Amino acid sequence: MRKTAWDPKTVAERGLGLGAVVVALLGPVIFSAYFTSTVLTQTFIFGIAAASLIFLSAYGGMISLAQTALMGIAGYVIGNLVTKGGAGGETKGLVLGWDPTLALVLALVITTAVGLILGAVASRSFGIYFLMLTLTFGVIANYFFGQVTKLGGFSPIAGINQYTPPFVGDILGHPDKLYYIALGTSLVVYVVMRYLVRTPFGLSLQGLRDEPVRLGSLGYNVPLHRTLAFGFAAFVAALAGVLLVWWDGQIAPQNLGLGATIDLLIIAVIGGLGRLEGAWLGAFAFIVINNYVRDIQFPFASEKGVLPWVGGSFNTVIGVVFLVIVLVSPDGLMGIWNRMWDAVRRRGGPSQGVETREPAAEAGT
Amino acid sequence: MRLGRWKLLLPLALLVAFCTVATSGALATPAQSGEVRVAIMTDCKGGFGFAYELDIGGAQAAFSQWGGGKVTNKNKPSAGMTGIKAGGKRVNIVGYGCGDDTAPTALKETRRLMEQLNADVMVGPLSGDEAVAIANYAKTKPTKTFIIGTAGSQDPTMQIAPKNMFRYHGDGAQWNAGIGELAYKRLGWRNAAIIMDDYSFGWTSAAGMIADFCAVGGKITKRVFPPLNNADYAAFVRQLPAPDDVDGYFWAVGGNTPGSLTAFEQAYGKADPKQFIGNLFFAFLGNDKVVAPKFVGSYIGGFGTGPGLKTPQAKQYERAVTTRYPKLPVADGFVYNYYNAAWALVLGLNKSGGQVGAALQRAMPRTLKSGYEVSDGGNVRLDVRRQAIQDQYQLQLAKNADGTIGPQVVAYVPNVDQSFGGLFKPSSPPPGRSQPACKKQKTPWQGKLKAVKNGVITKTTIK
Repeated sequence: MRKTAWDPKTVAERGLGLGAVVVALLGPVIFSAYFTSTVLTQTFIFGIAAASLIFLSAYGGMISLAQTALMGIAGYVIGNLVTKGGAGGETKGLVLGWDPTLALVLALVITTAVGLILGAVASRSFGIYFLMLTLTFGVIANYFFGQVTKLGGFSPIAGINQYTPPFVGDILGHPDKLYYIALGTSLVVYVVMRYLVRTPFGLSLQGLRDEPVRLGSLGYNVPLHRTLAFGFAAFVAALAGVLLVWWDGQIAPQNLGLGATIDLLIIAVIGGLGRLEGAWLGAFAFIVINNYVRDIQFPFASEKGVLPWVGGSFNTVIGVVFLVIVLVSPDGLMGIWNRMWDAVRRRGGPSQGVETREPAAEAGT
Repeated sequence: MRLGRWKLLLPLALLVAFCTVATSGALATPAQSGEVRVAIMTDCKGGFGFAYELDIGGAQAAFSQWGGGKVTNKNKPSAGMTGIKAGGKRVNIVGYGCGDDTAPTALKETRRLMEQLNADVMVGPLSGDEAVAIANYAKTKPTKTFIIGTAGSQDPTMQIAPKNMFRYHGDGAQWNAGIGELAYKRLGWRNAAIIMDDYSFGWTSAAGMIADFCAVGGKITKRVFPPLNNADYAAFVRQLPAPDDVDGYFWAVGGNTPGSLTAFEQAYGKADPKQFIGNLFFAFLGNDKVVAPKFVGSYIGGFGTGPGLKTPQAKQYERAVTTRYPKLPVADGFVYNYYNAAWALVLGLNKSGGQVGAALQRAMPRTLKSGYEVSDGGNVRLDVRRQAIQDQYQLQLAKNADGTIGPQVVAYVPNVDQSFGGLFKPSSPPPGRSQPACKKQKTPWQGKLKAVKNGVITKTTIK
């Protein structure tokens, strides 16, 4: 059953989405500099990375733990190519001092190529085996960059954000510039993903997700479809990786370590693995908790009003939030949103022309 | 239905709480009064997590002594400090950074301290890679001032060298100055093999050993690089020449010092302490209990401190710390270096009249009467890149009077600068697998090492 154009939930979603975009566009005017340059910019960057994971999961049935590694590869390519050695320069990696535009192109191309190769290897695996294969890739990438000292080694390649292409300009002097670039990239990624899943490729990908054997017997090349989807997600992860090194200025093995991989998975799960919007929502929740949890004030407790067991215990708090979300809403924050509408509908009865529950396959379409 | 309602209400409550936090964080602006906002960046997790209280305690002891700060809890420095004044202004410690010995976390914490909590000055960080990350960050924040805590990498004040960064202690190579000469002259080594952690601190620490040993005429026959925090060192120790084929081993493995030495003994039999020279990891960071007992008699590189040194200046420093925080190990570099960094800050603020930014950077002291300094009337001097030229003390593992094993100062190495007599330059690559090359040359302190006995610097030159 198709949704009608006047589905109140869709109207509400579009309204909220538009509102969020407007607020985001006015971000630097409304919010403090730290909030825009750190919390929101990071939200966009990790939102893009999480979107690459959610895209694979929601539409391809592939939960990839390699997205962080792919981000890291893009970061390492840029870091090695653009930084310069010598007095006052950078000290780790190849310090080739190449043109930042060329480095950007190479970062996207190389990461996408690595994604396609990995996709080809992993495309015949399903479920837990796919998860393990991609996790293995992530671990290998972490060790590779940590131990090949010529490419950086354990120490960070830092100072990367001094070197950006001319069309990007000085992002250190004007952090709002990077904010808008990250916002714009987020919007483009979202729109392209929404478009892609409606193309024949996207539709067959969703078919492969649900019935790979049946689609295979109908003549579809299942591994090729999965490989291409993985390559596309690698490209999106590469975009996030590029933005990350422009924002953070550095790349280190820990950026693609197991901790970072799990963080991205948590972002996707908190947001909701079933819908693309969840990527940015999950990233926002994760980063806000990460930044502000130690500053939470409990006026009734301790001499300074800070509960010592809360202050600094980011991992505990995010763990509790994660548990609560997984228990009460396996679809993440987007699932809570869906549940709210279900409750409203139950109270008022289903409206005419509105389906009562979206199948996961069509989620977000 | 009760369960369904709960399933809706709980997430909603969570959302409301979350939005409250987000909004308050987004719109909150830190109070801006006539105060100086200071952050102390250290590690509370990872390999150096134990140093959290040591670093904070060291810094706050100086704030208390020179800025009149009031200790909140003698046994827990991180409980805070109030009432600090410098340059006529109130000094507010706005936060403690919680690093984990990795660059990404260090940078995240630095942003939190400098941008969210709006600190004007940072005292820290603790470790080498963190300092590399923060030195690059410092370049982008010229109005903020950074005074390194205890980080031992060379790059922050040699190659990167942002103008707003200061270091009042030696780097990891400086800490080992003189140890090569000791090996050559006291142990008669002419050739040696070296094993080092494959990252910036391991390389820098090893660079000091190599540069010093080669400077007096020694030869390095083999360099081995196990990855940091390696678990199995068998393959790496097998790359070293056998004990009969080499005079000795320089051991710059800190990720897993006991594990690497056990692997050596499994490969070549019981280790002879006189054939081993370790870096600070042989005696500090808990290894006084694990490694030191098996290597009594081994020389080890220093930590920029003189444990047990009996000079009035050293006693004064030690008293200043122990009266405020009785449990702190005063001769530990984590305490000493943070103490000196905070002291320098108070002096700088006094001179700048409480002004921060460029005024403070101009006013930061170029000399500091640090506790264990003896040369130049007991003054550590800063070079043109704001890096300390500092006396170093080389150590030997020995039995203390109470039966415990610990490091004792055996050599005083005067005025050690970062360049090792021009071997390291801003234009040269930082220490690495092959940097520096083994080269005979003259270092400023060569032939000037004085023997130290029972904490007293003698007039006897080590020959």
